[in-house]
Amino acid sequence: MREKAKAIAKKHGYLPYMIERYLSLWGEEETLQFIDACERPIRTAIRVNTLRTSIDETIARLDKKGVNLERVPWLEEGFYAEFANVSSGALFEHLLGFYYVQGIPSMSVVRTLDPKPGEIVFDLAAAPGGKTTHIAQLMNNEGMLIAIEQDKKRVSTLVGNIHRCGVTNTLVLRGDAKKISTLEIVPDRILLDAPCSGEGLIPIDPTRKTSKTMADIRYCATKQDELLEAAISSLRPGGTIVYSTCSIAPEENEIVIDDLLSKHPEVKIVPIGLEFGVPAYTKPYGLMLDESIALARRFLPHIHGLEGFFICKMVKEE
Amino acid sequence: MPVELVDPVEWSKIRETIDDEFGPGTTQGLRGNLAPVVIRSEQSNSYYLIPMVWMKQLEIQLQDFEVRSIGIWLGDRVKEQFRVGLPVIEKLGRLTRNRIIVSRRGAESFTYGRSILKESLVKIPNGLRRGQKVVVYNEEGDCLGLASLTVDYDRVDRLQPDRLVAKNLTDIGLYIRYY
Repeated sequence: MREKAKAIAKKHGYLPYMIERYLSLWGEEETLQFIDACERPIRTAIRVNTLRTSIDETIARLDKKGVNLERVPWLEEGFYAEFANVSSGALFEHLLGFYYVQGIPSMSVVRTLDPKPGEIVFDLAAAPGGKTTHIAQLMNNEGMLIAIEQDKKRVSTLVGNIHRCGVTNTLVLRGDAKKISTLEIVPDRILLDAPCSGEGLIPIDPTRKTSKTMADIRYCATKQDELLEAAISSLRPGGTIVYSTCSIAPEENEIVIDDLLSKHPEVKIVPIGLEFGVPAYTKPYGLMLDESIALARRFLPHIHGLEGFFICKMVKEE
Repeated sequence: MPVELVDPVEWSKIRETIDDEFGPGTTQGLRGNLAPVVIRSEQSNSYYLIPMVWMKQLEIQLQDFEVRSIGIWLGDRVKEQFRVGLPVIEKLGRLTRNRIIVSRRGAESFTYGRSILKESLVKIPNGLRRGQKVVVYNEEGDCLGLASLTVDYDRVDRLQPDRLVAKNLTDIGLYIRYY
């Protein structure tokens, strides 16, 4: 398999270790389908921001400007969008916060979290703010959303997007999300869209074919473990946590979750509650993981025509 | 940087500034039943409006975190000068009569940070004076930002089309130019 992986990697410009893993996960035919899908562009999508305006008004205004919209079946506010000759960020409607240019998987993450008005919600790696502003939208600006970001530059972008989208129920904190327990606030829900190796973003960023090593993936997995541990510790008993990454690597997804479940029997995976994606893997690379991990979902470029993503919803039992 | 309630003396100065610029009662209209708080830094004081019930939550330990934004950003005070924040300008526009409307071309130019020329001005209420701050709208009724008049209302008609009418103070284009 190693020689075959090397040959495929060389032909398509990937690092061999990546192809070796794909062959182990999917076999040759599906690996080639994946590689082929990663050469095709991902369709632009927008989320209509109902904090600013109605879905109908945004559709009407964008229609007048020649933007073609197509509904996403499981996302009331999500649309595939063809902007024709204009940049998606250049329209007045964008500046006014009527919509947010956002990937379908990212919108699906927040819909999976299902935040409610009046709750206390943590968003632990919040920049640039697509998911934060979506959470506030579903909370109808009621309750308290605590958005945490460590990176100084990215936190400015986060604040800008919060202001543009008319979000008013958010406390933005710059700092290390691993220290959230020091806040002594007990959230009802937590979104951990964890920093990751970005292995699902190859269709958007072809440099990812060669930019990360296996050591990078292991490093990310360690950070993800630590963040999840901190998140679970601070979550209210009975509360909900959604863990997601834009990586297709089981090492950053299913294996991280399996490790968490073994350490925290009070944490259970629950169904996503929406119809999208394919079940997460319970036997990646021949490992035998917790069967409930199949309740988590994956988006894959060669199956869904979207960036690769992993979404897992869990509750902390009372 | 802790979040503190704004003390009454400091708040009255802010209220005077906003009400002087946009009309009596504007500040109370912006504030509603929210609590004004301040985050102080070496460069500026940033003022926000938050629900009263958050005050208890803010008695939290923040030593490991820096507060970068909270609730509604009302504005900043830099070197004793208070400037309203972009997020409140839309509401400000509903509370004041200091509103001007600009043409499509003028609106595009304004959201690139440029000031407003006579030829772009579609509507201006009478009685406004030079230096007065005005909320800027396009012809569709979208709030675009804030400008300062460079000429009295009475003199606008006498201006040539290419003369400046209002200087850009802030606009929604900042969301992509700055952030």
